[in-house]
Amino acid sequence: MNKIVSYVRSLFLFELLKGLGLTGRYMFTRPFTLEYPEEKAPVSPRFRGLHAQRRYPNGEERCIACKLCEAVCPALAITIEAAPREDGERRTTRYDIDLFKCIFCGFCEESCPVDAIVETRVYEYHFEERGEQIMTKDKLLAMGEKYEEQLAADRAAQAAVR
Amino acid sequence: MDSVIELWNALPLVVQILLKIVVIMVPLMLMVAYYTYFERKIIGHMQVRMGPNRVGFFGFRMLGLGQPIADAVKLMFKEIVIPSGANKLLFVIAPMLSIGPALAAWAVFPFNAELALTNINAGLLYILALTSLGVYGVIIAGWASNSKYALLGAMRSAAQIVAYEIAMGFALVGVLVAAGSLNLQEIVLAQQGSPLHWFWLPLLPLFVIYFISGVAETNRAPFDVAEGESEIVAGFHVEYSGMTFAVFFLAEYANMILISALSALMFLGGWLSPFQGAGIESWFSWVPGFFWLLLKTFVFMFLFLWFRATFPRYRYDQIMRLGWKVFIPITIVWIVVVGLMKVNHVPWWFN
Amino acid sequence: MITIEVDGQSLEARPGQMLIEITDAAGITVPRFCYHKHLSVAANCRMCLVEVEKAPKPLPACATPVMDGMKVFTRSPLARAAQKGTMEFLLINHPLDCPICDQGGECELQDVAMGYGGDVSQFSERKRVVRDEDIGPLIATDMTRCIHCTRCVRFGGEVAGLRELGATGRGEHMRIGVFIEHSIGSELSGNVIDLCPVGALTSKPFRFSARAWELTQHDGVALHDGVGSNVHLHVRRNKLMRVAPRENEALNQTWLSDRDRFSYKGLESNDRLTRPMLRENGKLRAAGWDEALQGAAAILKDTQSGHLGALVSPNATLEEMYLTGKLVRALGSDNIDHRLRQCDFRDDAADPQLPWLGQRFEDIEDNDATLLVGSWLRKDQPLLNHRVRQSVLNGGAVLAINPVAYDFNYELDVDIVCRPSEMVQELAGIASALGASTAGVEVSEDEAHRTAAELLKQAQRGGIILGTAAMMHPDFALLRRLAANIAQAAGISWGTVGFGANDTGAWLAGAVPHRRAGGSAAQGANARSMKNGSCDTLMLLGCEPEGDLADPLNGAQALGGARVIAMSAFMSPLLEELADVLLPMGLFGETSGTVVNLQGDVQHFAGAVSPPGEARPAWKILRVLGNLVDAEGFEQNSSAEVRDELLALCGEIQPDNTLGSAEAVQQAYQPEGLQRVGGVPMYSVDALTRRSAPLQATPDAWDGHLRMNAETAAGLSVEDGSTVCLSQGDGRVELPVRIDDCVADQCVWLPAGVAESVPLGCSFAEVSVEKV
Repeated sequence: MNKIVSYVRSLFLFELLKGLGLTGRYMFTRPFTLEYPEEKAPVSPRFRGLHAQRRYPNGEERCIACKLCEAVCPALAITIEAAPREDGERRTTRYDIDLFKCIFCGFCEESCPVDAIVETRVYEYHFEERGEQIMTKDKLLAMGEKYEEQLAADRAAQAAVR
Repeated sequence: MDSVIELWNALPLVVQILLKIVVIMVPLMLMVAYYTYFERKIIGHMQVRMGPNRVGFFGFRMLGLGQPIADAVKLMFKEIVIPSGANKLLFVIAPMLSIGPALAAWAVFPFNAELALTNINAGLLYILALTSLGVYGVIIAGWASNSKYALLGAMRSAAQIVAYEIAMGFALVGVLVAAGSLNLQEIVLAQQGSPLHWFWLPLLPLFVIYFISGVAETNRAPFDVAEGESEIVAGFHVEYSGMTFAVFFLAEYANMILISALSALMFLGGWLSPFQGAGIESWFSWVPGFFWLLLKTFVFMFLFLWFRATFPRYRYDQIMRLGWKVFIPITIVWIVVVGLMKVNHVPWWFN
Repeated sequence: MITIEVDGQSLEARPGQMLIEITDAAGITVPRFCYHKHLSVAANCRMCLVEVEKAPKPLPACATPVMDGMKVFTRSPLARAAQKGTMEFLLINHPLDCPICDQGGECELQDVAMGYGGDVSQFSERKRVVRDEDIGPLIATDMTRCIHCTRCVRFGGEVAGLRELGATGRGEHMRIGVFIEHSIGSELSGNVIDLCPVGALTSKPFRFSARAWELTQHDGVALHDGVGSNVHLHVRRNKLMRVAPRENEALNQTWLSDRDRFSYKGLESNDRLTRPMLRENGKLRAAGWDEALQGAAAILKDTQSGHLGALVSPNATLEEMYLTGKLVRALGSDNIDHRLRQCDFRDDAADPQLPWLGQRFEDIEDNDATLLVGSWLRKDQPLLNHRVRQSVLNGGAVLAINPVAYDFNYELDVDIVCRPSEMVQELAGIASALGASTAGVEVSEDEAHRTAAELLKQAQRGGIILGTAAMMHPDFALLRRLAANIAQAAGISWGTVGFGANDTGAWLAGAVPHRRAGGSAAQGANARSMKNGSCDTLMLLGCEPEGDLADPLNGAQALGGARVIAMSAFMSPLLEELADVLLPMGLFGETSGTVVNLQGDVQHFAGAVSPPGEARPAWKILRVLGNLVDAEGFEQNSSAEVRDELLALCGEIQPDNTLGSAEAVQQAYQPEGLQRVGGVPMYSVDALTRRSAPLQATPDAWDGHLRMNAETAAGLSVEDGSTVCLSQGDGRVELPVRIDDCVADQCVWLPAGVAESVPLGCSFAEVSVEKV
């Protein structure tokens, strides 16, 4: 009996018609599309956008050149060179993130013992010339300065689960 | 008015014919353009998206209606890249071979009881012949590209079209038997009466098979293994760019429109009003028959898109099985049935 | 032999061995911090606690002698609990600053904490903080991190021979430090960096520059002294980041001298040559390799046969020396020499087949008597001195005849300090006391000679080491003859230490005028005669005219009178002035090659980084030059091919110090007035060390003063700090004076190889000093 039913169903393309019915129904539902750039999706405090380097409230840069981010980076996007600063502190002389290599996995941020390298909510950026894709230390610190308020708030919001 | 007709008659025959061709071609090409637009729009909505909605005219968005024009302009200005190992002559000829038959078939197409570019008695035969020619464009493109993907695509396409050509031909034989004529206008006139007189009912299996074969003939989803993005990149036209690609694109959509229009013509009574035989027929007598034809064609064109949005691509061996082992037997059986109905004057179609 | 059982595995041991030696040999891991196989046992870290059957408490493996039938458990619950507890105690005062600690990633404490430590510390009080001391330009201190293993303290006392670091206070108040803040003076001080299991003592030049995991490790051989210390070259992104010792019991054990460890910093010097240069219209300009090599080849082809000379650095590799010799000889000359600092060549005919130290390094430790002639062994060959010091600790005697009362890290049994010209008489005195031939030198024996002779005679095993001051001496031939006579009479060995890493190899490679590769005789001009202008064209290989020649004054004149093709890693003022073609070459770590150390070990090494800019390994340059002058036998494709070719030529030549017979030489150097004492300061021995900033900042670098004792100064009526004018022949320099009572009377100490002595001639000569 079942065999006959399934034969008849396949002869009259029952499953296919069901599929057509489904797509036909969805044609009249409201599209989910967000009309970027006029509309934007909400961004989580854990969002992993463009990188930044933070400073302490007293202006001292946080990064201590421990190179854990460089070691953990799965894409080998980070290049660090370090040397003693004039006052003998351990600081980077070069901190480059190659955004062409970066896969925005956020491991650098996770590995950082001093919350120096962080990922901001910024995801709208572009490059016009070769070399611009390298986030140098200066660029990173500038990003950090620009978004410090947001960064601090995001980190505070996530403090309990980090 | 008279002077216009006089002027027309004064024109040399060649010019007359050329003007007629232009009158058919221009709307057809516009239809192709906006068919792509609606395809994207409709599939978009079925997938709960919006489809193109940015490009408009004069700075207004107008739901993205400018998109096909923008695409056309873009394709026209793009470079035509000819692969270094390609056979240049065949490479350039292939898209022309593809679009030629797709357009030529319209020569015998009756837009209403009087209007056709030419009205020949063997119209159906002519259309059958031309639609099978289109595959050469595909095969030659695949060969000339000197690319594995293109060649694989072309081979698939060839085998598929051979399989479905037969089923399609048998389906048309059914129409031929039912109408008793090869002339397209007469085939429509044979469906006079009411929507129940139309051939879709007595020839229901042939109707379904014809349309599905049409989908397969035009290499559309779910039979688009010749393109098969996920396996062979873009199949036969993988090496084509710019205008050469655009011509393939035009041919595909022109073919889709042709199949839709022929389905309307042969199974849904062409330009005949759907209200024939009903009491309210006279209310719609002012509607030109061409409008009904267009409406019916649109139904089929929409089906093409609906299919694409719904069905996943067939596996290649399943396509072959469907063509050879399902469609051909069914059509042969149904031709016999139609013949018996015709011989026995089964009411009310054949009495 | 006795048998013990460790973790169920039965092991053989000698009675009296410590447990940890047995487990180490068997590959059973026992964690430790304070134990080191070359240092005494302290057992103060308590990390190596293991359970021993029938012992009521866990015992430290490093201080528990094995007993027959002992059953040891290194991973039993008791042992693990003990190890875990110890780890927790050690971490009480250790700061959690691994991210900024240079030891991070190669830290024994980190590793052991991962393997044996707990997750949580019960210690919630404040941690101890210790003030850092500046102990010099080589070692950075972060004493807060110290875990009091005292390896560095024991190293100072037992190996370096200087108790510079010590522990003060007890318990939590214990501090490791120098009692009065000063730079560490040991020439082996860098080893405490390796010894320190934590980041308390780290390398200052390397500070913060790289992480252990970024570095790739390559095997290498240090190229500054005749020991041929094995090293690891740590490379990051094609840059040599640091040098660390590679264990080799026969050569450097686990140690490395500071010179070998920190000289790599000279590679970063600003005056590295990175492009070939050509002289055009009297000015040097950068050129391409093709152009420069064609220029050099044109000069070589244009030189008359017999008038081409080559001065080869004693640090050059065997391959470079061999190819240079081959090139010079292919062009019809035999003028090649690596003995750039030697002044006395009168006795060349008597040169032994393959001069060497005369003893294997390990055997020196068993010497009953060692005679140092004109040698500050401690600074010239730090690791040889370490062996001599071991012989002293083993009860041996050390005797010295020196122009300066050099500072040794052991007591000298006989310490003869005399004017350089008297060194011959003093040595002859010992010879005479032994009853050996004095080679025609008039002697007056005294008590010191007789004591020395007695010590040497009684020695079962002993050696005479002629140091750099003896080799630069104007009567080196006599000193050598006397040393050989004494050695024969006393039944001990004698040898020279050389000036570079490959002195012995140079004799194999034929980098001497009277010996071709493989040992066949030749007749060429030696370094002295080349410097006196016997050649029209001079090739320099890796040597700087300022610092590497015995007398820079003559050398500069000879270079001025000749066309000069210099293969050099560095630009120097004289090269800039005098070179016609400058070909940049790779140096330590940048080139592959072979060196032969003072005991005749042939050691190959590969390049670890590529030379900077367009510089190339010198053997490649020489090979192409050979092709360009159409010489035969320059088809080698690798340095290994060159080496194999040479070693095949050398066959079975063994190190041998037997002097040939030659005409007796007379004592030539008998000046009347003030004598200059030369030698080469430890950190001025070659171009690379001279450019290593951290080494130049140490107290061992020459300070630019002229040294003399108080008596001499009084005679000249100068004081400490006053400026004097020193004239030697045509050369004169103005220098400040430092009173140093170590210098022999009527002598002034101004070494060669330093900037101040460039305008002067031979470093042992009569000089006059005037007050300015």
